[in-house]
Formats: sequence, structure tokens, C-alpha cells
Amino acid sequence: MAVYDKVKTLLVEKFGVEEDEISPTATFEDLDLDSLDLVEFALAAEEELGVRISDEEAEQLDTLEDTVKLLEQKGATA
Amino acid sequence: MLLDGKRVLVTGVLTEASIAYTTARIAQEQGAEVVLTGFGRGLKITERVAGKLPTVPDVLELDVQSPEHLERLTGDLDSRWGHLDGVVHAIGFAPQSALGGNFLTTSWEDVATALHVSTYSFAALGRACAPLLEKAGGGSMVGLDFDASVAWPVYDWMGVAKAALESCSRYLARDLGDQGTRVNLVAAGPLKTMAAKSIEGFDSFDDWGRRAPLGWDLTDTEPVARVVCSLLSDWMPAITGEIIHVDGGAHAIGGELR
Repeated sequence: MAVYDKVKTLLVEKFGVEEDEISPTATFEDLDLDSLDLVEFALAAEEELGVRISDEEAEQLDTLEDTVKLLEQKGATA
Repeated sequence: MLLDGKRVLVTGVLTEASIAYTTARIAQEQGAEVVLTGFGRGLKITERVAGKLPTVPDVLELDVQSPEHLERLTGDLDSRWGHLDGVVHAIGFAPQSALGGNFLTTSWEDVATALHVSTYSFAALGRACAPLLEKAGGGSMVGLDFDASVAWPVYDWMGVAKAALESCSRYLARDLGDQGTRVNLVAAGPLKTMAAKSIEGFDSFDDWGRRAPLGWDLTDTEPVARVVCSLLSDWMPAITGEIIHVDGGAHAIGGELR
């Protein structure tokens, strides 16, 4: 779950999400992140993990589990 | 190149899907030097997206509702370039209550916000940039519009703000004409940008291509950006106070063609 941990760190450090709110089944909505946050998250993930999430894909992001799966499919390794 | 040596301010770059992003890219490809502005929470995003342009431009913070920011913008551009050849205004905002079918219940406060950010800001930016445009021999201001001659589904007070923008542009053209500055709008067909995604019910525009003789791709900002760059260039002289429809021709057609 190395990518998951990286995503978690990103959310805590750059988006001010409380660590104990983060779980694999949590959605971005649960974490109070809106569409603008999603765009920023996609850009940050690209910088940190070297994989590109398009605006369309960012819009579809739901749970953290799914997000990690998408990042891994795209070849992200942490 | 179309914009060789031109110095251009581009507002409104938020994501790569922004009309302003494609405008900035084409302007750079055509030889222009570009500076972007960003606002509020979006500023960080604009800074990141700026890194994807062919040449990474500086990003200045600009809240068009802040007279201090506008003053700082003038000072920054003056010390950086001393003059300004072009300004792209790609700024609009309306609170959720002013969009998506709440026309009759929207409060004045929310309407006022929409008008301040989407309409008045064009004149405010014109005032801030006028001395620098004059020093460039006139220069060109281009704003982004959505045809405001009719009422649309869900567009509500943003439609009113765009109608006011169309008028605002004519008055700005009147007052900046003496110094040779051209002021024009590009009325774009619907495009799936962040601005569009924030409008609930935007998909009611998905069949735009059926009315457009040339068809319409909701995801391609290039046609609009190209026309914006053309208006910034020296190849659109003697045009001011004009609205150019870049919409596949839909504005000229009264019903569905296909």
C-alpha cells in the first residue's frame, strides 16, 4: 500500500485533511474536498508520483481506494 | 509569427482545459511573452499549470475585486515590461444561487458578486492596463463572452452578467479608442472547462453541434484561443467594440440542422 501511504501524506500535508479521517473507503467528498481540490490533487499526484491524471479522470475520483488503484494502473510506485 | 515580440497579460488560466490556457500556449508559440494571473485558492493551481506551458510564465496574484491588487498589477507590469500589447480577460464567477434555475430567487448580494467579478472587472482591468497599453501604441483587450442576446437554460444571472459585459466592452472601446486601444469580445460556444462544470445543468448545451453549421466540439478550446490570439495581433486593425462568435455558427441558425 505504498501508493496509498503517499496519497495519505499528500492529503494531510497539502490539503489539511485530518489523518484519522482518511481510510480506503473515504471519498473526496467525505474529506470535504471539492472539484477545485480534485484538480489540485491531480497536479500534486503528478508531481509526487510521476503519473498523469486528466481533468476528466480527476472529476470521476471517488474513494481513496479507487484513486490508488487508478494511480497504480498508471504505473505509480512510491 | 503572429505575436512576435508582443507582451501579453492572460488572466483566467486554471486548468489545461481553460480557454485561457490554450490562448497562453498559442500566444507563446506565436512569439509572445506572457504573464498569467491567478486568484485565491486557484492561484496554486494556476502556478502548477503554468509549468506545462512551452515557456513557464510568471503568475501574479490578482483578485479583480481588490483595487490594491489591480494597482499592484499595473506597477508590476510597468517595471517588468514598461508597456503592454495585449490583455486577455477570462474571468467570471457567479455564486451557485445565481445559476442553475434559481433566477427568480437569487439575492441582490449574489447578483452583485456575479456582476462585480464577471462584468465590472473588465472595465477595472481596462483602467489598470490603459496607461501601459497606450505606451505600446494602443494594444488590444479581449474578453470572453457567451452570447447574451437571448436567454439560455440554467445560465441565469451569469447570462445577465454577460449581457452587461457586452455593453461594458462597447463603452470601454469608446473610452480607450482615443489612445488606439481595441476592445473586443469573443462569444465562445459551450466548452467543458472548470467554469462550465460548476454550472449545474450545463449538459443542456451538449447538443450545440446540431445547430452549428460547422459542428462543435465541446472539449476543443483551440478555435476560440486562436481567434483571441488573432484579435491580439496586428491583423485585426480597426475592429473595436465588436463581438466575434466562435461557436461553429450556431448564433446564426434558428433551429436544429441535424
